Amino acid sequence: MPLRPLLSAACLAALIAVSVRFQLLTLPFVNRAPIERAMTILPDRGAWSPDYPRFLEAVRERTARGDSIALMVPARSWEGGYAYAYYRASYFLAGRTVLPVMLPNDRRLPENLNRSHYVAFWPGKPPAGTNVVFAGFRGALVRR
Amino acid sequence: MGFVIAAIVTTIVIGLPVTLAIDRHQRGAGLVGLSYLYGAGSVWALLLLMSLVRMPWTVLSTTIVLVVFAALVWAFVLFRTPELPRQSARNWSSLALVVDLATAFSLAAYAMYATVARVWSWDFWAIWGLKARVFVENRGIDWSFLQSPFNDFAHPDYPLLVPMNYAYTALVSGGWDDRWMGLGWIGFTVALVLIVRSMASREVPELPAALIGFATAGAAFTRYVGLADAALVACAAAAIVMIRRYLLFEDEAAFRHGAILLGLAASTKNEGVALIATIVIAVLVHEYAGAPRSASVSPPVASRLPAVLARLWPAIAIALPWIVIRTAAHLQTDIARGSFISRAIERAGAMVPIVATLLRQMPDPWIWLFMLVGVVLMTREARAAERFTFAAVVIQLFWYVATYFGTPLDVAFHIETSWPRVARHVEIPFLFVVMIALAQAALRRETLAHAEARPDLH
Repeated sequence: MPLRPLLSAACLAALIAVSVRFQLLTLPFVNRAPIERAMTILPDRGAWSPDYPRFLEAVRERTARGDSIALMVPARSWEGGYAYAYYRASYFLAGRTVLPVMLPNDRRLPENLNRSHYVAFWPGKPPAGTNVVFAGFRGALVRR
Repeated sequence: MGFVIAAIVTTIVIGLPVTLAIDRHQRGAGLVGLSYLYGAGSVWALLLLMSLVRMPWTVLSTTIVLVVFAALVWAFVLFRTPELPRQSARNWSSLALVVDLATAFSLAAYAMYATVARVWSWDFWAIWGLKARVFVENRGIDWSFLQSPFNDFAHPDYPLLVPMNYAYTALVSGGWDDRWMGLGWIGFTVALVLIVRSMASREVPELPAALIGFATAGAAFTRYVGLADAALVACAAAAIVMIRRYLLFEDEAAFRHGAILLGLAASTKNEGVALIATIVIAVLVHEYAGAPRSASVSPPVASRLPAVLARLWPAIAIALPWIVIRTAAHLQTDIARGSFISRAIERAGAMVPIVATLLRQMPDPWIWLFMLVGVVLMTREARAAERFTFAAVVIQLFWYVATYFGTPLDVAFHIETSWPRVARHVEIPFLFVVMIALAQAALRRETLAHAEARPDLH
């Protein structure tokens, strides 16, 4: 048999073989519960899981569309945790306005506390004497 | 899950008359695949229009608008062609059917992966899904959200086809629930596989065409669930394959598909906008490189070139509204901030480490390796015939690499977080032409495409 057709067939077979995602093809036959658990907590790893997203859901239930909520989390820097907390809050609290108290250059924005209808503290307790709307999942929502 | 399936089905139903309006002969797998892409495009366009005229997005208003749109397009289709042409019976081989079933199984397995949990990708809940959720809450595009300096992280300049389709799914579902949104996301991959399978069967027998479909299903799958790359890969790859078909076989319907799909690609991500320029240059390469060498005037432009380029107008027409809107709303692209050119010049000296990083982070290295081996095995005529696709792949990759040189971000970080995704954007059309050529060589067939490349026939 001429060489080109043989080599072409071999290369074609190789392309088909390397295109297959073998690991994924076993999914219908394995117990997917562990994968589901792992992927469910993947966005909120470490100290944030499982309470932070639950706290945000609770904040959502207790606020209305259009409310503004300042976010207080004990991250020392934007890349050190504040970015994640802010982006996550923006997702769960879509329809509300989430106001950061820190910028990507780590500059603090205390004025956003005064602009907001609510302040969400996570984790931790709000200052005494504040109007606590909700406390749970290691956080608290305060109405200004 | 039922509501998400309903959204997918209605997307296909909306896209069906659009597909037939573009190409009344389209049937089978290609019809379903194209209908999903055109349906997604129609959903995007109509929700955008509703936002611009301040019509709130509700289940009722959206349904009415989509039904009226579909009815108008059906009326157009049936007015032009009261009786749609029937497709002639095809010869199926049982082996090809087995391979097609294997493809369906693999797509089902991928769908299981994509829906194993609530969509978990960072870029879904920080960009694509976030915008969709905000818009659903706002019952339309929330311009104040997009324009807020605090929301730069959500890339407000990105085109909105994918978020709008997530929003549509939420409207059909009666509220936001991201548990099963991975199904709609993988719909783009399924659509692409159907289109590629259909296009392959026009050039090779059913068994190799089925094998090309099977390989495409694997190569097109991306683990970045929820991101817009799946939609871009689908629209971009389908556009390139269609325009290639026109250039080789003068299939007019394929060109119409290609031009519109190119516009939809530009409506999924900014890389799709760059693809329009890529396609223009690749068409120029195809036409100039294919010009008769014996011509005495210099250099002769193929007589059809201006007409071909002008007929790409649907791509511009579809992409332009969002480009105008985001400019008017001052939604800046982060890559364009500061001086892109001075950053690129500064980094020119670091070309070796940057290229080394790109090679280290290359996705699917074995697929790329065997594709390159396949190119070497192709005859000179076959390589010449496929110059459009090769040029499109090289040029698009060039834009991506150039972006890394001028990025305002840390280069290594930017490459690590994007290159494994974006390099896949052009993998499928490259895979398609190489596998077609290899199949033809293995079967010792010559096609019109490769005969077209022979200078003795000019």
